[in-house]
Amino acid sequence: MIALDCDDLFATWRDQARTLLGHGIDPAEVSWAQGPIDDLLAVPTTLPDGPGPFRAKVPAALLNLLEQAARYRGEQRWNLLYEVLWRVAHGDRTAMLAGDRLGSELHRRIKQVSREAHHLHAFVRFVPLPEALAEQLQLDLVAYHEPAHDILHSASAHFADRLGRQRWLIATPQDGIRFDGSAFDYQRNCPEDWQQWARNADDPGAELWRTYYRHTFNPARLNPDALRMHMPGRFWRHLPEGMLIPQLEGLARQGKQRDGQASEVAGQRGKQINRSE
Amino acid sequence: MQLIAKLGILADAAKYDASCASSGAPKRSSRGSEGLGATDGMGICHSYTPDGRCVSLLKVLLTNFCLYDCQYCVNRRSSNVPRARFTPEEVVRLTLDFYRRNCISGLFLSSGIIRSADYTMEQLIRVARLLREEHNFRGYIHLKTIPDADPLLIEEAGRLADRLSVNIELPTDASLKRLAPEKQAHTIRQAMGVIHRGQQAVAGEPKAPRFTPAGQSTQVIVGADATDDSTLLRNAESLYHGYGLKRVYYSAFSPIPDSPDSVPLAAPPLLREHRLYQADFLLRGYGYKAGELLGEAGNLALDIDPKLAWALANREVFPLDVNRAEPALLARIPGIGLRSVQRLVALRRERRVRYDDLIQLRCVLDKARPFIITSDYRPAQGELRSGLLRAQLREPQAPVQMGLWG
Repeated sequence: MIALDCDDLFATWRDQARTLLGHGIDPAEVSWAQGPIDDLLAVPTTLPDGPGPFRAKVPAALLNLLEQAARYRGEQRWNLLYEVLWRVAHGDRTAMLAGDRLGSELHRRIKQVSREAHHLHAFVRFVPLPEALAEQLQLDLVAYHEPAHDILHSASAHFADRLGRQRWLIATPQDGIRFDGSAFDYQRNCPEDWQQWARNADDPGAELWRTYYRHTFNPARLNPDALRMHMPGRFWRHLPEGMLIPQLEGLARQGKQRDGQASEVAGQRGKQINRSE
Repeated sequence: MQLIAKLGILADAAKYDASCASSGAPKRSSRGSEGLGATDGMGICHSYTPDGRCVSLLKVLLTNFCLYDCQYCVNRRSSNVPRARFTPEEVVRLTLDFYRRNCISGLFLSSGIIRSADYTMEQLIRVARLLREEHNFRGYIHLKTIPDADPLLIEEAGRLADRLSVNIELPTDASLKRLAPEKQAHTIRQAMGVIHRGQQAVAGEPKAPRFTPAGQSTQVIVGADATDDSTLLRNAESLYHGYGLKRVYYSAFSPIPDSPDSVPLAAPPLLREHRLYQADFLLRGYGYKAGELLGEAGNLALDIDPKLAWALANREVFPLDVNRAEPALLARIPGIGLRSVQRLVALRRERRVRYDDLIQLRCVLDKARPFIITSDYRPAQGELRSGLLRAQLREPQAPVQMGLWG
């Protein structure tokens, strides 16, 4: 058994996989380490020397699929990719199609990864820093986000398109990215001070957004399952509106469901309009 | 009145419009530039409220003062609601603040009718102009179009906004007369025509200034009057063909506070709305005709989806061999969507498709099973009568809000 560690880097894995393929090493004969716990049964052997005799040709589209699926955090993260690569390199192209059992898992991972990138674009919430602090840190906006897969690096350019010359930072428990208005600084291990700034930013202005959220909700259409399907609970704690969700559901269940209006509006004095006004 | 208090009133007043799409805009980026905002054709749902609907845009009214007295509308002049009015600068400030925070992808601005249709339209245009020209805002803008406004104003709005919409609200003349006496069906269609002609004038001219690049849409209210699904869908079909509409939104009528006797005070018909969205999607994406989906019936079935209903009514087309059938026909199999059709076609180029492959593709086999043949499967229910089959396949479905994209 060959035991390898690619440090969860696709480029490293790709070089290792190329060598293995060149030497005709079967997927069952190799295992990649996953975090600190190694495969106890694997007796580590090193990678064979040189490129090996087998010159494998694989379509460029496959490498693209593998790179996307590599961002998926989960069991058999790297082994699965090698299995797909092995089958396609040996002439079985169905391994990269969604109709195949292995290909189906490959595509499921790609879908999860792209969904998680979409979650980043949707649910990151930036907090604007007050002017003095912004000047001191050279940062206008900070955000803290907890993605389930390794998508921060590949998916963050989106925010440079949206925010123009604004300077921003997204910190996660693993990695972090900072943009100074023209260039990115990506850190695989998020610096401690980035996390501090992002997690402790004071945000009095969020009350405006919470007000909007409360009032755009229509209690007569209460459907909490749909909310949970599209916006999983794990994101709520970093959303300014997250704490309102259970509260609004509760109010709607206790009778506010009879019409669409928020109770804060119902409590205010109304005004009918004369045509001549 | 403080900004935050106005926001509460004017967001509450705008929530009955179903549209919140931010998709379909051309590629724009602010990278390295002054200003803010990007679009790339994909919509983003930045949040969901407990009603299950997506929050993609800041959806507010400029004012909920209104001279009209539409019975279904919470803002009608005889309604006893608190009133407020934003200045254009206030809407701009809110849009930019929420956008920077990544809470929204743009603005959807509508308004009660104040002074005149032209004056109201001018105010909406003013906000869009401030955003685009003073603040270099490149995010998504959707403006409501006031039907009776001067066509020149509508054209001006079309050059600033990604999307314009003129709401039909009630699809028959009789209902409009009864419930929205100040509105007229023909001016609504005229406004749609102005927008459509503006789009046609720049179609195929890449150098021409953009005109509503994300298209126009409309909304009809479901359940405020007695209009049936057949009328709603045939109406939608004629709008898609006649005015090149991107989307028709169906909004189940939510009871309003201080409700007049002319409209129902009942829970919104969410399941009916859901079936209408499904049927509408079949019109736009699958090439079904409204007549095929409804036949003689006035309303869509609530207990089964419209695609399954069509298949049950057209058993002679089935079972279809997934290894041979044309893609357009494959898409008519219940439980097999457009994406699965593409994947099946890719797979059958490599080898014969088996039953197990459909499981891997995550097709809904409970629905598809009676209607398909694979290399290793033939339906035992082939002979089963449609009535029995329907009894087996019907399932009480919780209403799911969908169709807010596009």
